[in-house]
Amino acid sequence: MTAHEPPRSLETVDLTKSFGGVRAVDGATVTFRHGRINALIGPNGSGKTTFFNCVTGMIRPDAGTVTYRGQQITGRPPHRIARAGIGRSFQLCRVFPRMTVLENMLVAVRPAGLRDLVGGAGSPAETDKARRLLVRVGIDHLENVEAANLSYGQQKLLELAGVLMGDPDTIMLDEPAGGVNPALIGRIGTLIRELNDEGKTFLVVEHNMDMVMSLSHHVVVFDRGRPIAEGTPSAVRADPRVLEAYLGI
Amino acid sequence: MPNASDTERTLVAAATAPAGRRVPARAVRMLAFTVCAALILSWPGLAPNPYILSAGVMVASYACTATAWNFMGGFTGYVSLGHAAFFGLGAYGTGVLIRDLDWPPFAAWLAAGVIVVLITVPVGIAALRVRGASFVIVSIAFVLILLLVAQTWQDLTGGSDGLVVPRPFPDLSRPEHHRAFFYLFVALLAVMLLAWWAIDRSRFGTGLKAVREDEDKAQALGVPTRNYKLVAYLISAFFTGLSGGMYALWFGDLDPIFQFSVLLGAYMVLMALLGGVRHLYGPLLGALIVGGALEYFELEFGGTQLHLVAAAVLLGVVVLVTPDGIIPAVRDLVRRFGPQDSSIREMTAAELLAHNRASGRGGPPPDEAPDEAAAPGTGEER
Ligand SMILES: Nc1ncnc2c1ncn2[C@@H]1O[C@H](COP(=O)(O)OP(=O)(O)O)[C@@H](O)[C@H]1O
Ligand SMILES: [Mg+2]
Repeated sequence: MTAHEPPRSLETVDLTKSFGGVRAVDGATVTFRHGRINALIGPNGSGKTTFFNCVTGMIRPDAGTVTYRGQQITGRPPHRIARAGIGRSFQLCRVFPRMTVLENMLVAVRPAGLRDLVGGAGSPAETDKARRLLVRVGIDHLENVEAANLSYGQQKLLELAGVLMGDPDTIMLDEPAGGVNPALIGRIGTLIRELNDEGKTFLVVEHNMDMVMSLSHHVVVFDRGRPIAEGTPSAVRADPRVLEAYLGI
Repeated sequence: MPNASDTERTLVAAATAPAGRRVPARAVRMLAFTVCAALILSWPGLAPNPYILSAGVMVASYACTATAWNFMGGFTGYVSLGHAAFFGLGAYGTGVLIRDLDWPPFAAWLAAGVIVVLITVPVGIAALRVRGASFVIVSIAFVLILLLVAQTWQDLTGGSDGLVVPRPFPDLSRPEHHRAFFYLFVALLAVMLLAWWAIDRSRFGTGLKAVREDEDKAQALGVPTRNYKLVAYLISAFFTGLSGGMYALWFGDLDPIFQFSVLLGAYMVLMALLGGVRHLYGPLLGALIVGGALEYFELEFGGTQLHLVAAAVLLGVVVLVTPDGIIPAVRDLVRRFGPQDSSIREMTAAELLAHNRASGRGGPPPDEAPDEAAAPGTGEER
């Protein structure tokens, strides 16, 4: 079985983070494999978002390590981790409200040292790329609109496009379907699948079980800050520990 | 009644309107710029007496400091109340280099600017570890420390006896001296405005604005926020220092109480906020209003504390009435009552909403219904 497992992409060992007395992430040891759509599910407050924040450097873990493609990235600043190839979205969609859609995209352009000080926000090639991504998520006609004026769904699409702008290999999405209508959930799902076909690895926190079951190759179940079960969607759905965590049986 | 796809097309057309349609707006802007520049440059000729003339120099120096402040405050949203620290360092640096080392005045001035930058590196690294209110406190602490040092270190600064800076143009009469410095301050301001404009459209500027809007998000997208903030802080300190040095050369007499004053820092903030921190000319406009008012109070009522009350009231009004400053507020007014621009960039949120409603494809605004989504079919239809 292990013979045809894809290579490891993101790994954590004993990752731990407490807030005061609350152990939000409690010794989480998980491996996510390259090229898969991995889902991370678990009840509210089980530490999924905190896990994301520890991995992406937004929060420094109290203990444990994060390894990405064989390299230790624990405690590195977020922009370094982003540049290493991990893109992420936020649970409550975050865009730059008072910048235009196109400017939002250009924020993610790779810094070029002192050349950042002169010249435009993005080279013609980068601006082109931004526009192509906007076409891809379907909001290119809004490129000159301030992001605050977009609907919530459009902001979610913009956030996803912005993440793609940095050419990440691994994309971490925190509840991409949260607060979004069914039509758009379908579209986001299609986008994820297409991007995965192009070789992107996904790590998706999601409560929408239909989406999780139909989309993911591998599911990890979190409870009280650590994984309690993992496997294929159907195996996880049948796992009694999962039912217990979710339903308190 | 246009159907959805019609509206869609209008929107797209408007968004990509050919540059030719913007020309009148650009012409108006050029005209306004020329008129304002001409007015400012002719001020020394218009001023009826040396007092008014020197008030103009004072306002020009306020415009420099407020614009310098805005390199940090405006771009990154980090509000520093302690920018007088850089002003004072630039002023004393210039004065001391001339007095003790006999440097040529403007070489001393430039060198003082560089010294300010060098001192600011460690200060910035420390101060920028914190955000929001903590940063404000740290910035105030810095200027208070420098005030104490300057008052105590009598040998260097002359303490409260003051430091007399030799005049750079000893042959000029008093009015000629004021006139020369008016133009020097305006030239410094012009350089700053040019730098602000260049940064505003650069990748660096985009990153700074992203920090202002959402620092964590900017980091997550790969913006090296710490370095960007530090560079903005250094640029801001450099220009503030140069303004202080210029002030030293002009005024010729320094007292720690005035150079390292929290009040001066507060004025910078007030001026920038009043005019609009997101706009190139915002701090300049704010300086014209606040600086003008301060000088008026000074001339009219002498050394009373009335100007403090007036400044406090003004700050309250700004925060309550035009939180984004005068320039955006006036722009909105013009937009509402003036000729309609075809560019969708110029739309306000309300107008966009109305637009979407009219075409029957938008929904309630995001805060009303979070599970509203992208207009179904947006994009896919085309
Ligand atoms: N910044 C924070 N400060 C204090 N407690 C936090 C913070 N973030 C999360 N927590 C706590 O950590 C636990 C895990 O939260 P979170 O990671 O958001 O879970 P999930 O995303 O799975 O719903 C919760 O008990 C939450 O209250
Ligand atoms: Mg969460």
